[in-house]
Amino acid sequence: MKRILSSVTDGKGFDIGLVLLPLAFLFVLSGLPLVYNVVMSFQEVDMFSLGSFVRPFVGFKNYVDLFSQPETAPILLNTALFVTASIAGQFIIGFGLALFFWMNFPGASWLRGLFLVSWVMPGLVVGAIWNWILSGDFGVLNFFLREMGVIAGNIFWRSDPNYSLWAVIIANIWLGTSFNMILLSVGLSAIPRDLYEAAELDGATALQRFFTITLPMMRSTIGAIIALGLIFTLQQFDLFAGITSGGPNNSSNVTQYWAWDLSFRQYDFAKGATISAIMIVFVMLASVVYVRSTRHEVRG
Amino acid sequence: MSDQIRNRLMLGVALVLAAIYLFPLYWMYVTALKTGSAVFATPPNFLPSTPQWSVYPYVWESRNMGRYLWNSLVIALGAVSLVAVLGVGCAYVLARYRNVWVDVGLFLILMLQVLPASLMVTPIFVGFSQFGLLETPRLAVILAIAAKTMPFFVVLVRATFMSVPMELEEAALVDGNSRIGAFFNIALPLARNGILVSAILIFMQAFGEFVYSKSMIQAVELQPASVGLNTFMGPNTNEWNNIMAYATIYVTPVLAVFVLLQRRIVSGLTSGALK
Repeated sequence: MKRILSSVTDGKGFDIGLVLLPLAFLFVLSGLPLVYNVVMSFQEVDMFSLGSFVRPFVGFKNYVDLFSQPETAPILLNTALFVTASIAGQFIIGFGLALFFWMNFPGASWLRGLFLVSWVMPGLVVGAIWNWILSGDFGVLNFFLREMGVIAGNIFWRSDPNYSLWAVIIANIWLGTSFNMILLSVGLSAIPRDLYEAAELDGATALQRFFTITLPMMRSTIGAIIALGLIFTLQQFDLFAGITSGGPNNSSNVTQYWAWDLSFRQYDFAKGATISAIMIVFVMLASVVYVRSTRHEVRG
Repeated sequence: MSDQIRNRLMLGVALVLAAIYLFPLYWMYVTALKTGSAVFATPPNFLPSTPQWSVYPYVWESRNMGRYLWNSLVIALGAVSLVAVLGVGCAYVLARYRNVWVDVGLFLILMLQVLPASLMVTPIFVGFSQFGLLETPRLAVILAIAAKTMPFFVVLVRATFMSVPMELEEAALVDGNSRIGAFFNIALPLARNGILVSAILIFMQAFGEFVYSKSMIQAVELQPASVGLNTFMGPNTNEWNNIMAYATIYVTPVLAVFVLLQRRIVSGLTSGALK
């Protein structure tokens, strides 16, 4: 007993205690729900059996039901479009900004840091602001587009099924651009400057330098950022709640909002769990890519 | 001389880019100060002609913002305390050892970091309701947020501990300190700044958290400001000046902290995501 006690205060036991307590906490509050989620997706769960621990198992019925619903395919397509368009927009604008701020000038790093305000703002506030900007008759975005002659009549971003998903995508690109830019800036500053000096001496043009030095040197950073973008866009929920609520008629609905909507609006917890189980597999795959591309740094 | 002109030019372009990017934020502040009818003017005014400062006390009173913000504060402080108490030790150990178990632990932590809250809320809600945790909904939300944000905190703080030289602790041990003494007297004070910045990042996330609070807190008097804002924004609202005033009151303290600690927050964030 005394040996154990002294090991806790003065030896390996101290370290093991420090690490086991938080891991146990994470296991109970993240690991177990993960398993429970998969279990629920094979069960019949309704308002009456919600509190009971024994629920009838129904095999793959929830999965079969889910894929026979007419809205499933459009929502999956929406999710794919949302993820691809968001990542592409965030990455391209973010890379452009990162390249611009990479040219050293006084105040560059301070101004660059200012962009990150979008990241620290509560998601619901970002949603509210964009909801107002994208409003149909009085929205300021429509005003700018009209003045520039891009559109003739107002676009009803939030209530037109053709545009509602794009309303959320625009807001999400705004939200994610700063994070992409900061991470890409970190990657850019790690490229040794003498590579460019040598290339310049050899007469390489700016475009050639970009494609033969910058892009290849940034490969692992870019991989990590795309994977992170995938993870973050699949986590995006607040903007949907703040702008369109998935409507009208599911035209802007995506799986991560739908899963919540099924559980907490329609009280169909089994279906909600089923979608969650499917999506979590996707997120896990993305995170394996992310962890692999940052593994060397993580190991220190 | 030409260098100076180039620098001025670049700075000018950078300011324009920042202004475009931060326009939504500006629009929030301007809209809040407009009168109910000026909000719907076409073309819109980009400067409020008669700023309505009384909108802030009005929204504060009529929307019960004091209570909402208090709940946000309780939830955020609770989550940060829990994450800090549990996470610091974990990060310390993961920074001090280099073996297979540490790799496995880090891998698991990184995997848990990526689970979307809106997908995890279904099993957490059902599990919590079975164990009666929903009787104390704010505690339930604190636990859920802590589990969601702790991996990020551990990764950030671990990077900080890696930069504290091990030799200092070894010297303390030689001088007769116990492991606990060396941890609290040497390692912890040296990592203090990194821990603080990480805690502030977690605080900001918890302060704006929405999914868990919306799903688990039914009683209006216990809901945080994010849920209050969601309730305020009904489907066909036209009180945009009041909503933007609400958003202003909610977000300004966060922005102030961010601007003050900008450099540290940015470097903390980047070290967490790519290192």
